[in-house]
Amino acid sequence: MNPHALMRRCLSAAAALLLSAGALAVAAPSAAAQENDTDSLLIATDQEVDTFNPFKRRFVITYNTSLMTYETLVRMGADYEPEPGLATEWEESEDGLTWTFTIREGVEWSDGEPLTAQDVAYTYGLLIENQAIRDWNIDFAGNLVSAEAPDDTTFVLTLAQPSPWDVLTREVFVVPEHVWSTYPDPSADDANQLPLVGSGPFQVTEYETGEFITLEANEGYWDGAPGFDEVVFDYYEESDAAVAALEAGEVDIVSGLNPAQIGALEGQDGITVNNAQGRRYVSLTINYNSVTKDGTEFGDGHPALKDPIVRQAMHMAIDKQELVDTVLDGNGQPATSIIPEIFEQYHWDGGDAVLDFDIEAANALLDEAGYVRGDDGIRTMPGTGEPLSFRFYQHADSTDYATIAQFVSEWWAELGLEITPEAIEQGTLNDLAYLGEFDIAFSGWGVGPNPTEQLGMHTCAVLPTLTDGTERSSENNYCNAEFDALHEQQKVESDPEARAELVREQQRLMYEDTPVIYLYYQNVLEAYNSDKITGMTMQPSEGGMITGQQGYAWAYVTAQPADAEDEGGTPMWVWIAVAAAVVVVAAGAIVFVLQRRKTADERE
Amino acid sequence: MTDGSSTADGASTEAPSAGRSRPGGRVSSGFGRYLFKHVGGAAVSLLLVLFSSFFIFRLIAGDPIDQLTRERPVSPEERAAMRAELGLDQPMWQQFWDYITGTLTMDLGESFQYRRPIFDLIVERLPATLILSGTGMVLAVVLGFWIGTRAGWKQGTRFDKGHVATGLLLYSAPTFWLGMIIILVFARYLGLFPVNGMRSPSTPPDFWSQAADIGYHLVLPVLTYTAVVYAGYLMIMRSSLLDEIGSDYLTTARAKGLRDDEVRRKHAVPNALLPTVTLVFLALGGVVNGSIVTETVFSWPGLGSLFVQSIFYPDRPVLQALFVLFSSSTILAVLGAEILYWFIDPRIRRSG
Repeated sequence: MNPHALMRRCLSAAAALLLSAGALAVAAPSAAAQENDTDSLLIATDQEVDTFNPFKRRFVITYNTSLMTYETLVRMGADYEPEPGLATEWEESEDGLTWTFTIREGVEWSDGEPLTAQDVAYTYGLLIENQAIRDWNIDFAGNLVSAEAPDDTTFVLTLAQPSPWDVLTREVFVVPEHVWSTYPDPSADDANQLPLVGSGPFQVTEYETGEFITLEANEGYWDGAPGFDEVVFDYYEESDAAVAALEAGEVDIVSGLNPAQIGALEGQDGITVNNAQGRRYVSLTINYNSVTKDGTEFGDGHPALKDPIVRQAMHMAIDKQELVDTVLDGNGQPATSIIPEIFEQYHWDGGDAVLDFDIEAANALLDEAGYVRGDDGIRTMPGTGEPLSFRFYQHADSTDYATIAQFVSEWWAELGLEITPEAIEQGTLNDLAYLGEFDIAFSGWGVGPNPTEQLGMHTCAVLPTLTDGTERSSENNYCNAEFDALHEQQKVESDPEARAELVREQQRLMYEDTPVIYLYYQNVLEAYNSDKITGMTMQPSEGGMITGQQGYAWAYVTAQPADAEDEGGTPMWVWIAVAAAVVVVAAGAIVFVLQRRKTADERE
Repeated sequence: MTDGSSTADGASTEAPSAGRSRPGGRVSSGFGRYLFKHVGGAAVSLLLVLFSSFFIFRLIAGDPIDQLTRERPVSPEERAAMRAELGLDQPMWQQFWDYITGTLTMDLGESFQYRRPIFDLIVERLPATLILSGTGMVLAVVLGFWIGTRAGWKQGTRFDKGHVATGLLLYSAPTFWLGMIIILVFARYLGLFPVNGMRSPSTPPDFWSQAADIGYHLVLPVLTYTAVVYAGYLMIMRSSLLDEIGSDYLTTARAKGLRDDEVRRKHAVPNALLPTVTLVFLALGGVVNGSIVTETVFSWPGLGSLFVQSIFYPDRPVLQALFVLFSSSTILAVLGAEILYWFIDPRIRRSG
């Protein structure tokens, strides 16, 4: 057969196909409009569902679905202040051990049954009496003594120790007793079956693994029905694909973007980029105190790191602003402490005590402390003469950390320290860190609105009792009696301003002791379809984030559909195109076969 | 850890013993012996896969609990509760025993990240994979053989050179990159197809709507998948045909006055097909594995993307189960090819 003839035939068939598809695509939008009158808010996600059981969820995605499906007594406001939720008011007894909540009247579950204080008592009762649920939530549940509902609108909670902030900020999602009491095991991961029954603004109705999670709006929601009829979490495993989908109008909210993606999206019609302060810090942990509660040392940290002078000098030799500019492309803030700037009431900004970037002064500190430079320029310890040679471990999957490690290693080299950076797979790095087998390692956490959680990981009480690195409760074996005393005080201080003062003092202590060097607070980079969505309440309300909100799903509840065309479902043109393609292919095949027959003899 | 290595020795001594039992059976007929030999070999491979799967994924360091508790401070009590629930508090030999007996009775255990039976997860995701790689594989094989035959027959022509160049270019393109380009062109800029996923949540649940929607979502992933793999079949078919092209029997066929077309179809191609049988069977085995990268780029909810998510997690029980599934499907496919050889290749029958 003549190859040219074949090529021509193939080409013309392909052209015919493309033409018909193209013509149909032009006609597509008009056909698509008719299909759908449900307003859906589509949010890109990549995290799988562990469990819909609100007592046991561990992942961010199921935190979000719980937050919408269920409600708490006290809600976290858009500016992280406690405000009435299912409880309209509350009172702490003089001794701080008894809390009396007034439960909102007229609230209904999504199945139409009334919500009463009995449901609340049942829920807290599970935390007290169900052993598995109690174990899962032991840090809070361990302090609960009793949960009672003397009448339909009163709920009384009794504690073993005063703990006002835990009571106000701990998210106990109230579940309907009439549904949950029928479950054989309320602690099971698959205890609650879809569709979920809750009192929140949206309830999970459908879930297909790796495809989508659908939440339907609660039309009878006591705080007013949400603007969108449903919220859909749609799975995008690749964030570049999610960005393309946002641009194509297939998804409405995309988060977890990088500076390059933000740059490409900025200025596009109908897309708004949200570059918001984040809750996340990135830090360097210094192995200076690998020791158990009873004083047994473990691990192999460099002895020079025990000297606070060395740690402070290292701290002074890091230009945090430079890191924010180069690594985050400016999308972040230099860090001073464990509580990010976004929680401005608790954040300690260092004030005059901040150590400025000054390599000369850092060198002077080390000189003064007797760490003299050897012939090779590496400092040695006074007495033993051991060179200051440190292992510096970073997570292998983070390019940001790799860049930071490069910068910091160079700065530290100027101090006369010998630094060996090494990229290690995350799991291994965690193992080494908790075994104390490192000198300096990267770390980072997302911080919640209640500072007790993060600060609590730095108390003497959580030091390991074993040396095998399995307990993992202490972030870096920090132990300071003064810090602990402040921690106990802030936990029971009911006055917000007085408490904030104590929390700031804790951060100041940690800054001085330098067990950890906080590098920066990372911004949240997200983008949404502003042709479709308006009126989202951010958290915090000024310049805050959409995804990653805490304590209440402000953005999703307040989002209103703007009037823009809906897309969704299979457009009509697909049906026509499929039919057309079949016809074209069939016709092509027939022509092809006929031609072959006809010319076969001629070709010989 | 010491526990682990002692069990590992146990596994390696056990596996050959399963092989040693082979010569014990006495089979008289040629086919019987041939079959026995290959089935036995496959069985040994399966056992090795079963044992090694347990240990391979234990090499991924890290405490699974760290993943479950990301971004949340946890008390040691919580940690202990989680360990118990995931069965991580059991001694290694107990975990091994549970894994072996579980796998053999199709009770694959529970996933760490989904907290659901793995068997259900696999059953749920298998159809998606079969649809995507099944369609892609058929297209790739047909396309590759069709072009390969013609390219080989007319070696050195522009048709040949053009197709070999195009095929190899696509073959060497990173799937991930190609997929992204296809998404950008066809979904983002032309807006003809959806970016991602297998169906949209708003599609009505009836069969025809669902089928059309899945077909609509299928186009770009299949295009990507086919574009990347078809060159493999093209090249094999082309070179097999080239091996035959100078043979005397073809000259004879021509001398009989057969048309060029018929010489190719009835004489050259059947002989050239032999090496490609293996390839097709391997491909059949590969249909189960799916295309890990294509599924990931397009968030296609199949076994391949499940595997990737499980690696990142790392979700050990899922990885174990999928590794066994993927390997055994390949082993069985190869076994199928070997059995088929007996019937299609007389040389094997003669050498017995």
